[in-house]
Amino acid sequence: MARIEAKAPAGLSAPRVIRPAVPWYQHQLARSVFYHAVVGVTCFFMLYPILWLVGSSFKPPDEIWTNQTAIIPKDFYPQNYPNGWAGFGGISFATFYRNSLFYATFGTILSVSASAVVAYGFARLRFRGRRIWFAIMLVTLMLPTQVQIIPQYIVFKQLGWLNTFYPLLLPRIGGSAFFIFMIIQFIRSIPVDLDEAAMIDGANKFGIFLRVILPQLTPAIITAAIFSFYWTWDEFLVPLIYLNSPELYLVSLALRTFSDPSGQTDWGAIFAMSALSLLPVFVIFISFQRYLVEGISTTGLKG
Amino acid sequence: MKRSKVLLILLSIAVLVLPTLAVAAQDQTEVRISWWGSQNRHDRTIAAIELYEELNPDIDIVYEFQGWGDHWTKLSTQAAGGELPDIMQHDYARIEEWVANGLLLPLDGYIESGAIDAMSIADASLAGGMVDGQLYGINLGNNSEVFTLDTDAFAAAGLELPPLDWTWTQFEDIATQIQESLGIHGIGVLTSDQLWKSQYMGCCDQWAYAADGMSLGYEDDQPLIDYYNMLLRLQDNGGMQSYEDSVARGDQGVEAQLIVSQEAAMAYHWSNQIVAVWNAAGAERNFVMYPVPRPEGGQSQNYIKPSMFFSVTSQADQPDEAAAFINWFVNSVEANEILEAERGVPISSVVRDALLPNLGAAQAEMFNYLGIIEMDNSPIRPADPAAHSDVISNVFGPEFVEPVMYGMISPEDAAPFLREEANRILGAQ
Amino acid sequence: MAAATLSKAKRRKQSNFGQDNLVGYLFIGPWLAAFLLFTFIPISVSLLLSFTDYNVLANAGEFIGLDNFQRMFFEDRRYWRSVNATLKYVVFSVPLRLLFALAVAMLLNTYRRGVGVYRAAFYAPSIIGGSIAVAVMWREIFGNDGLVNFTLNVLGIQGPNWLGRPETAIWTLIILAAWQFGSPMLIFLAGLKNIPKHLYESAEIDGANAWQRFLRITLPMLTPIIFFNLIMQLISGFMVFTQAFIVTQGRPLDTTLFYALYVYRRAFEQNEMGYASAMAWVMLMVIALLTALVFRSSSYWVHYEAGEGA
Repeated sequence: MARIEAKAPAGLSAPRVIRPAVPWYQHQLARSVFYHAVVGVTCFFMLYPILWLVGSSFKPPDEIWTNQTAIIPKDFYPQNYPNGWAGFGGISFATFYRNSLFYATFGTILSVSASAVVAYGFARLRFRGRRIWFAIMLVTLMLPTQVQIIPQYIVFKQLGWLNTFYPLLLPRIGGSAFFIFMIIQFIRSIPVDLDEAAMIDGANKFGIFLRVILPQLTPAIITAAIFSFYWTWDEFLVPLIYLNSPELYLVSLALRTFSDPSGQTDWGAIFAMSALSLLPVFVIFISFQRYLVEGISTTGLKG
Repeated sequence: MKRSKVLLILLSIAVLVLPTLAVAAQDQTEVRISWWGSQNRHDRTIAAIELYEELNPDIDIVYEFQGWGDHWTKLSTQAAGGELPDIMQHDYARIEEWVANGLLLPLDGYIESGAIDAMSIADASLAGGMVDGQLYGINLGNNSEVFTLDTDAFAAAGLELPPLDWTWTQFEDIATQIQESLGIHGIGVLTSDQLWKSQYMGCCDQWAYAADGMSLGYEDDQPLIDYYNMLLRLQDNGGMQSYEDSVARGDQGVEAQLIVSQEAAMAYHWSNQIVAVWNAAGAERNFVMYPVPRPEGGQSQNYIKPSMFFSVTSQADQPDEAAAFINWFVNSVEANEILEAERGVPISSVVRDALLPNLGAAQAEMFNYLGIIEMDNSPIRPADPAAHSDVISNVFGPEFVEPVMYGMISPEDAAPFLREEANRILGAQ
Repeated sequence: MAAATLSKAKRRKQSNFGQDNLVGYLFIGPWLAAFLLFTFIPISVSLLLSFTDYNVLANAGEFIGLDNFQRMFFEDRRYWRSVNATLKYVVFSVPLRLLFALAVAMLLNTYRRGVGVYRAAFYAPSIIGGSIAVAVMWREIFGNDGLVNFTLNVLGIQGPNWLGRPETAIWTLIILAAWQFGSPMLIFLAGLKNIPKHLYESAEIDGANAWQRFLRITLPMLTPIIFFNLIMQLISGFMVFTQAFIVTQGRPLDTTLFYALYVYRRAFEQNEMGYASAMAWVMLMVIALLTALVFRSSSYWVHYEAGEGA
């Protein structure tokens, strides 16, 4: 917020002093330079961890701990990438990526679409028990997974679902409490006049959800999809418990399987694969975030 | 319009990459095995397993592997769910707790029947897997505590290498002199609970825990107090890395030892870790392995510790096949040529002799060192009591080592408190 | 606690409460089914376990009444240290994160060349996850000659050994949390995008400057999202685990022993799942209470376009 304040007076005071000599577009240019300078420098600090990680992933084994602070390696050693990619005993990262892409994609589609449906129910429909169910839903967020894991394991064991993706995917048919609550908040900031207009036109609740509410939820759904993909991609405790066969391991699991604090660890390979594992998350972010910028103005409906 | 396109692309990716959801059933006998380790260990173990399956076409070894911490989270969940594998890799500090809860099978029968062939295995190498007089784990490699010395740094500091039976006094002098002449630390922190557990063997022929595991096994706090006063002196004069610095660097594994980055001239670790240390430091460095220093006039506190075990669980479907695999794993020369002593020095003398000619520099040093320890060591101590992890993580670390090393309490005041709290936990088991 | 937000609807509720019973349950049906099938049993079991001394390896435990609670409140020194560390973390990290997130979202809510790249950069620290490499990375950054101390040095300040000192270690985790403001930032961005442009246009015609537009339009229109972010940051602040788990392991002197980390340790290192469950339920009560308070306060400051109880 402080930055916003600082920016406004700078922009306003400049033209007062030099207005006669300088046309307005140069003033715009100055603002632009200022903006890019401030944001750009901050960006370096934000990106530093990733630059360091990528830099370290090209260091040879005897440089990783002896030249730790450097971003740029003394000897360029791309061999870390094939070493890491080879995985374990012939099961390579190709397998782990395939599994993770499958899980993150389906998991995201399930979570986000179910969350939107459920959120509409909570936000716009009036039914008995709504508040109590909503409260229970929030409470489920407040208990650490760690103390639920053993009873849950026994439930899934009874269902015969160990060593499959079912325990990871099926609970998502109900959406995620986080996204449900988030989308509820977005729906509640959409004026009801549109719903009422559609109702007068003879639309039922499903029609209103699909034709009035859903189109306005694009930013919320895109945001949820970005998060969901990343959180699913990064998840490790639940996959660790349920996936036994290395052929089913995810990238997140494989990364944690590289090292042994008491044994020999190929840190170069860990850095290389950790850096590489950011790529899909980044690609998803870059390709989705533009819907939060340009594109169809979802609010145009009203204006 | 764009949204539906994105969705379509995502869906088609998902379908393309759709992995098999279930593992196909087979008519072979399935033996499940689970271990922890790093990439190197996974590769070698899987290669050995593949060889075993080739030799025994009717056996299908189904394997799972994970990192150290995750291993215990996963295996304890499986234990509660009755889903333990047939064979699990086990640890010296935890085995008693698992035995106490009836989760492991005694293997004495297999030794007697010869299903696990102990002909070329010294009794001392098996002793570490004994709990209450029965054998619950087959040792996968001999290990011992070691002080590794950087001989080049010693030369640069103008120091002679000490005798193998060096004392703590000599050690303190050396560490201090290294700091004075080279400006680097003598060694990293020496506050490991392992040193506490074995320290009383040097002076008093005692172990940290009593034989029944219901209380501490030493009567006199003074040797512990003296030891921590020495550490405080070394921390002050830079002969040892400060505890604060070690906390800041964190527990990042063997490769992060100060000796690797030439910030210290000595290192304390397990003997099988020399391979990792040397590898990370670079082949041009020169290291030599020393036993733990002893008190003036005292005896060695080194003992031969199993690096890890293979145990057969009580939930195993195929205990006999599991034992057969373990037998092959420790006795077969072929298997161990693949495994290359990555888990420590093999316990079978036949295997050891077969591996000797082809060892690398670090491994040769490790084999040689274990030979030295075998000639002068303390007898193996009982496995840690079931409450060991509780004592270490809730008392020894946060109530003793940390307050002492941060100077919040003196060793004289902290040692009796450690005794009191540890005895309370051990007595309540 | 939901009752609190929705309570403003009381007047309307009288007339049309329950009018959507069937459709309502159809819409929340997926969640309800998943809850009853997969979540209800584990949660209930964990509540029951909190009154037992259930040990994971023994897979057995006896009913011991309130002993677990007695032990945690009156006998466990580390428990109170973990409470202390967690409270400190929540009090500082939640406002910092929200503030950064909102400020940067405002800054990036324009259409300029390169804004996508900037957004990615600001989001970057939030996606580096919990792998072992990340632990090494954060330690390097806060190390004696890492990025933080290097920067301070340029400014003429001698930085402390951040992770080694009991006074500063928790600050590295708080700074780390502030650094990782990507997710609330993105939610703010989505919220900003949902504010109808015509409101700004008419305000401009009225001669409102940028700061006035922010106060009169942006802030009120954004309150539902601020409210959401506040609740979620509060919950995730109390449940913070990964940073301490991978970076500090609770050290030094238990100053970063976060509650959830201690719960995990008791559950899976000492296998005392009964005790761990009891701790987890105490935390649940505290978070639920705080969340309820925030919900109750929301009628004073959260503005819904759809009307209060829609």
